[in-house]
Amino acid sequence: MKTVELDAPQRLPVKSENIISIPMGLLGFEQVKKYVLLGAAAEEPFLWLQMLDNPNQGFVVVPPASVVPNYNPDIPQADVDALGIKNPADAIVLSIVTVRGNESTVNLKGPIVINRTTLVGKQCIPVNAASFALQQPINSLPVAA
Amino acid sequence: MLVLSRKVNENIVIDGRIVVKVVRTEGNFVKLGIEAPPDVPVHRQEVYDEIQRNNQAALTSGRPTARPPTASKPASPGGTPTAPTKPTGGAA
Repeated sequence: MKTVELDAPQRLPVKSENIISIPMGLLGFEQVKKYVLLGAAAEEPFLWLQMLDNPNQGFVVVPPASVVPNYNPDIPQADVDALGIKNPADAIVLSIVTVRGNESTVNLKGPIVINRTTLVGKQCIPVNAASFALQQPINSLPVAA
Repeated sequence: MLVLSRKVNENIVIDGRIVVKVVRTEGNFVKLGIEAPPDVPVHRQEVYDEIQRNNQAALTSGRPTARPPTASKPASPGGTPTAPTKPTGGAA
């Protein structure tokens, strides 16, 4: 049973500090370059990456470490350099969630890597992508109250 | 697109540092060898394609309610719903 309903007004106002630029766009959505990252405490660790120009559309995302143990994507150095990331602490990594009721999955082959300071990001294909699932089931999550 | 003809065991060099070698052909099937620096990702096109399809399938219209996709049991009838449907202060 899918429980997707239109939300009440945004929990967080759109501020410049929530706006993420993805100059190359997500694969399949190359025309969309600006998103706003929204969240609410009750939804943690899940966040909503909303298209800036189309607030009705977006992606449920999650930091993969919150839902998958030992996830160690090897992000191509060219991507790391292009984003100006000097060490892992500079990066926010978000994985796209496909919501399917109780059988949602997360994409571990195409993490979105964002420079924490510039808020510029890219959907990267890790060098070791073959060892990760495109649709990793999410279960045994710590349930938000 | 640059189209080059090669025979088996002949190479193509890209950007002076990536080498594509035709290792073997058999009917419609071509085995290619790729030499590239470790920081250069090389993937079958299908990987790009499947991520693209997965993105498209994941696109959500309308923000989902505050109910993380867990495998937990559905809320029991006596309990209060966990989704905060009442806008708390600060709603624009």
